[in-house]
Amino acid sequence: TLEDLFTSLNRHIQRSEYQQAVKLADQVLKLAPRDEDALRCKIVGLIKADNLDEALSAIRALEKIPRDQSFTVDFSFDKAYCLYRQNKLDEALESLKSIEKTSAVMQLESQILYRLGRMEACMDVYQKLQKFKIESLEINVVAGLISAGRALE
Amino acid sequence: NPIVLDLAFNSIEFPSLENRM
Ligand SMILES: [K+]
Repeated sequence: TLEDLFTSLNRHIQRSEYQQAVKLADQVLKLAPRDEDALRCKIVGLIKADNLDEALSAIRALEKIPRDQSFTVDFSFDKAYCLYRQNKLDEALESLKSIEKTSAVMQLESQILYRLGRMEACMDVYQKLQKFKIESLEINVVAGLISAGRALE
Repeated sequence: NPIVLDLAFNSIEFPSLENRM
């Protein structure tokens, strides 16, 4: 049953067995192709397993499915993350444009801008992120400040 | 260049499957 599959899937997630988790998610999707939890588990599992090419292909396949009231799933953030890891930085920024600026979105945006060497824009985003008190953010802010300083020299 | 942590990776999370099992 779906419940059994999700129970196994959850166990693999708890054990960080990401490839197994993806297999289970695929089994759910055979029975219920638009199951949003299974879709999310599949994409997240592929990303956590460092299988970014496949994650991106899966997201692109999903983008072709017409959206309606029963299918509202959005993987723009995950897509942007995969593109960032593949160093397709402009495309990654593009994928973040249409979504709400949560702290996670701004965090990724700042990392992309950093890699692009757009230090002023990067520091602007960090400034907006200060209020979220993200653990370890200071490390990236310092890296940004150092790079920004170098850019000014 | 100074190290930048990939903090965005941590915000990619599995959904809660609590009510699916
Ligand atoms: K980086």
